[in-house]
Amino acid sequence: MIAQDFEYSAPTNLKDALGLLAREDTKVLAGGMSLIPLMKLRLAAPGQLVDIGRIADLNFIHEEGGTLRIGATTTHYQVESSPLIRSRCPLLAEAASHIGDIQVRNMGTIGGSIAHADPAADYPASLLALEARVSLVSSKGKRDLPIADFFVDTFTTALEPGEIIQAVIVPLEDQSVGTSYQKMLQPASGFAIVGVAARIRKSGGKIAMARVGVTGLTGKPYRATAVEKALEGTAGSPPDIQKAAALVAGGVDANSDLHASADYRKHLARVYTMRALAIAASRTA
Amino acid sequence: MKISGTYAVPTARERAYQLLQDPDILAKCMPGTDQLHKTGEDEYDMKMKVIIASIGGSFGGKVRLADQHPPESFKLIVEGSGKIGFLKGEGLLNLHSNGDSSTEVKYDGEVQVGGTIASVGQRLLDTTAKLIIKKFFEKFSETAKT
Amino acid sequence: MATTITKTETLVGKRIRRREDPRLITGTATYVDDIQMPGMHHACIVRSPHGAAKIKSINIKPALELPGVAAVFTGKDTEKVGPVPCGASLPGLRVPHHHILAMDRVYFVGHPVAVVVATDRYIARDAAEAIEVEYQPLPAVTDPEKALASGAPAVHPEWPDNTAFTYHQEGGDVDKAFAGADVVVKQRITSQRLIPTAMETRGVVAEWHTGDRALTLYSSTQIPHLLRTLLAQMLGLEENRLRVVTPEVGGGFGSKLNVYAEEALMGFVAMKIGKPIKWIESRRENFTCTIQGRGHVDYYEVAAKRDGTILGIKLKLIQDLGAYHQLLTPAIPTLSVLMMPGLYNCQNIRADIVGVFTNAVPTDAYRGAGRPEATHGIERMVDILAAELKVDPADIRFKNFVSKDAFPYATATGLTYDSGNYAAPLEKALDIVGYKKLRAEQRQARSEGRFLGIGISTYGEICALGPSPATPAGGWESATVKIEPSGKVTVMTGASPHGQGEETTFAQIAADELGVGIDDVLVVHGDTAVVQYGIGTFGSRATAVGGAAMYYAIQELKEKIKKYGAMLLESDDVSFSNGACVDNKTGKSVPLAQIAAASYRAMKLPPNTEPGLVATYFWEPPNFTFPFGAHIVVTEVDRDTGAITLKRYVAVDDCGKLINPLLVEGQVHGGVVQGLGQALWEQAVYDDTGQLITGELMDYALPKASNIPWIETSHTVTPSPVNPLGVKGVGEAGTIGCSPAVVNSVVDALSPLGVRHIDMPLTPEKIWNLVQAGGGKA
Repeated sequence: MIAQDFEYSAPTNLKDALGLLAREDTKVLAGGMSLIPLMKLRLAAPGQLVDIGRIADLNFIHEEGGTLRIGATTTHYQVESSPLIRSRCPLLAEAASHIGDIQVRNMGTIGGSIAHADPAADYPASLLALEARVSLVSSKGKRDLPIADFFVDTFTTALEPGEIIQAVIVPLEDQSVGTSYQKMLQPASGFAIVGVAARIRKSGGKIAMARVGVTGLTGKPYRATAVEKALEGTAGSPPDIQKAAALVAGGVDANSDLHASADYRKHLARVYTMRALAIAASRTA
Repeated sequence: MKISGTYAVPTARERAYQLLQDPDILAKCMPGTDQLHKTGEDEYDMKMKVIIASIGGSFGGKVRLADQHPPESFKLIVEGSGKIGFLKGEGLLNLHSNGDSSTEVKYDGEVQVGGTIASVGQRLLDTTAKLIIKKFFEKFSETAKT
Repeated sequence: MATTITKTETLVGKRIRRREDPRLITGTATYVDDIQMPGMHHACIVRSPHGAAKIKSINIKPALELPGVAAVFTGKDTEKVGPVPCGASLPGLRVPHHHILAMDRVYFVGHPVAVVVATDRYIARDAAEAIEVEYQPLPAVTDPEKALASGAPAVHPEWPDNTAFTYHQEGGDVDKAFAGADVVVKQRITSQRLIPTAMETRGVVAEWHTGDRALTLYSSTQIPHLLRTLLAQMLGLEENRLRVVTPEVGGGFGSKLNVYAEEALMGFVAMKIGKPIKWIESRRENFTCTIQGRGHVDYYEVAAKRDGTILGIKLKLIQDLGAYHQLLTPAIPTLSVLMMPGLYNCQNIRADIVGVFTNAVPTDAYRGAGRPEATHGIERMVDILAAELKVDPADIRFKNFVSKDAFPYATATGLTYDSGNYAAPLEKALDIVGYKKLRAEQRQARSEGRFLGIGISTYGEICALGPSPATPAGGWESATVKIEPSGKVTVMTGASPHGQGEETTFAQIAADELGVGIDDVLVVHGDTAVVQYGIGTFGSRATAVGGAAMYYAIQELKEKIKKYGAMLLESDDVSFSNGACVDNKTGKSVPLAQIAAASYRAMKLPPNTEPGLVATYFWEPPNFTFPFGAHIVVTEVDRDTGAITLKRYVAVDDCGKLINPLLVEGQVHGGVVQGLGQALWEQAVYDDTGQLITGELMDYALPKASNIPWIETSHTVTPSPVNPLGVKGVGEAGTIGCSPAVVNSVVDALSPLGVRHIDMPLTPEKIWNLVQAGGGKA
């Protein structure tokens, strides 16, 4: 990599890291699966890199007060393979297993991924469906945000200067919830052309709760609330799912690129929503 | 790459048109641009620093206004180049009155991109262009309100 | 004297692991970028961001002002170097003068404009960015058909029609064949531009020895000797003062079968600055500045009788050449024409090639080089004909194959197919795949509304390039075989293998021939100061030509060994086998090591015999070889998304005798994977202004291991009579056989919708659109 000159530091505790973030041209390195390629191409040229990979306090997966807290530098592979996440929040493990390739999953981290806010990244769809929260920290203090408020726009998050992600908080699921993440991948990059995460709770033969997160379709990931509403209260039969899924791309300004036109993406969103919902429904107890 | 869209701005058509011709207003609303220096009739030099997440680059170039039909339409031509590539955009802006305090601005144009950003940023160009345009109109709406 | 003879195991035909692998997989191989030298400088090349532009000015001052920058050179400095050579000659060929750095105009994105030399790579890159080049952009054209239209921008102003050459070839009586046909099918078929993407990008290290006026140039190339000859001309150096070394080469696929501007440029820089210089191509440069493959638009017409007998083939071939000719650029489509009839007995052919300049990097040889395009064309046309006549695609092939009794078979394109039994691999492949049962499954799937497809391709190829009169440079190959005083065997091959595994296969052959163990043989290549002149590795030639040269060198040595053996055994009737000379009368023997020692010690010499055991052989092949085979692909199309699932891949290849089946399978696997890449994913996409918009691996979709189905390989063996080893070559077979099988399969899947042809790559959106358009029909 023939990047422009930059300073590099790898603090071992959070306090030092936050102190270093005061410098304006700083980027946080949290795996580097997006940042490093950009620096290689000189599309990014930060003056300082603060590598948070050696801060032990940021790498954890644990239960706390009915939730699962996942530290920012937890790698995709750790998320994918954690017995705790696989049993109690399988949607997130499934989403992680779709990211890039094994090398990327060994390096890339959940905090790094969502902070980059790539509009075609895999995690956001699931995190939206899970109604996750993000725990942020800066030298001024801490705050928690719902994930929907965290993603502001294309590559734009609610992170303030000097602030980093400390943890992602997801619910502990029980057997009544079924989930699924379905994706068509772009064959070169492995990013989602469209990715849909579905999360369903059934009660008394009816769908008591439906959550649908969509990535890749437009400039930022979103929750398809129209689909959710259309499905809730129904029996979740194939026609119910088909009818609900048809609403996923309503009013959405779909992306168009070399790999998929806007119309095709919208179509795929409907198909993958259907598939994700059907699988999620089949996975409910 | 074709770009098109509409934005509603909270001011009357005549005023919206007039503001869109003002280099100081344009400079204020174009993301990463401080100033436009007049170099000729409706022609300005610009310096633009675009930063979207990790991606950043400086562009130097020209902004030109043409084919003005006040208060209905005009052409906006932007050309810039920098280390990460170059771009040339030409758009026709049509203003439709939506009452005394609202104007619908419809834009339709084509952007040509070259260099590194064209070659490696295909997946991101469409969304990024939309983001920049959106930021412009958001800022413009804010400015037009006051 | 020892009398026991140990029977040496025969190595040829065995699955032996590659002897080159330990150094590769332990990270101890030396690639160009691993070379370090005291005082070494680093180069970074400033390249055009425009597809076409005039250079108005270049300001190098800001670069020169940076600490660590030693020099900057532009086109004015290098004007007398070169030009970059075109080795192909065709009547009336227009050859633009290809300067190593642009003069006043750039012709493609990536065109080199200046070179910065600095003490490290980072400074060089920073300085390259500091150079200010003022361009006046010009209209560009990247689509070869648009380039031929009147009023198109001229790539080279002196040739406004953008036509580099036209080429006509005809055999038999095509007009009569078409006039007498029951049916004529026509189709436009494209073969998109591909980026070879060797894992190791190109790289050059050049070291000027001022005192000796000698240059050593390390380059990741497939052709060290040809490179030396041509570079010496470009640089105005005596050829014997230029040494080219090919260290480990991390893949070439044809892209390093070339002489590049950067190779001469680094030689020039080293001579100017008197210090070693290194240039390592970035992946971005590799995508925009290393040759690309394919780039065809083909218009086919096939005439046939109602019973499926093919009577005649017409082809109009538009070849996208890019902005310049690289070494073989214009010759590649002529290979397509040679293979036009494929495996079929059709004596009436007509081909017209138009070679078109475009504002893009030149095309040239990429795995298969002209033959995948030809095979794709004829194999698609045969399927289209089968569909038109409503006959089974396997049956129509059996009907038209050149009969196995007809060899040697003279084609209408002037070739003589060496040997073949074309029905055999197809029969075997049909058997492996369970064809009849599969067709029944397909009927069932169709009744359920599923799109299941079965695609067949039966391919032939020209390999073992080739007889010298038929190739741009010599088509022979050389070998020197040395038996060292200790009896160890060193083979120096003029072929320059770079991943194909000849360090293993040549050792197998040599060990068998000389009756020594495989570890007693060392195969050396790729250094012009060590190895005798050779041609190189490309066109599936290394074993079929270079291996044969080694074989003949060994036969010469054997005669000499026998003379020494006779002397040592004091016999006039000796034979050589299993690594020893045996007195046929007494049964006494003397082992090779002892003979070798005696030959170098030379206390006594046999009559009219020199000391030492060394033989060099330059072998001129009498013909090409023509491998063939059959691939069958089973696919299923997801009607909701257009996604294609590869359900089965069966490859039955006939590459003559197999030296090492493990390596043959490896070559088939690699070839098939690259064929799948073209069929399904890869495409170099340029916009109208000449920007390569698939400029990185984020957008250029290479095949990935996880996307590749299990490849069921098998072989039939029809030895080639062309060389003593009976081998034909297999480096490109997989690539050539693959793409039509995949497309035939998907077209077959969608045939209920009336789909007849789909151009590659078969992207899900393209397929989905076809499903949508034909929705009412199924």
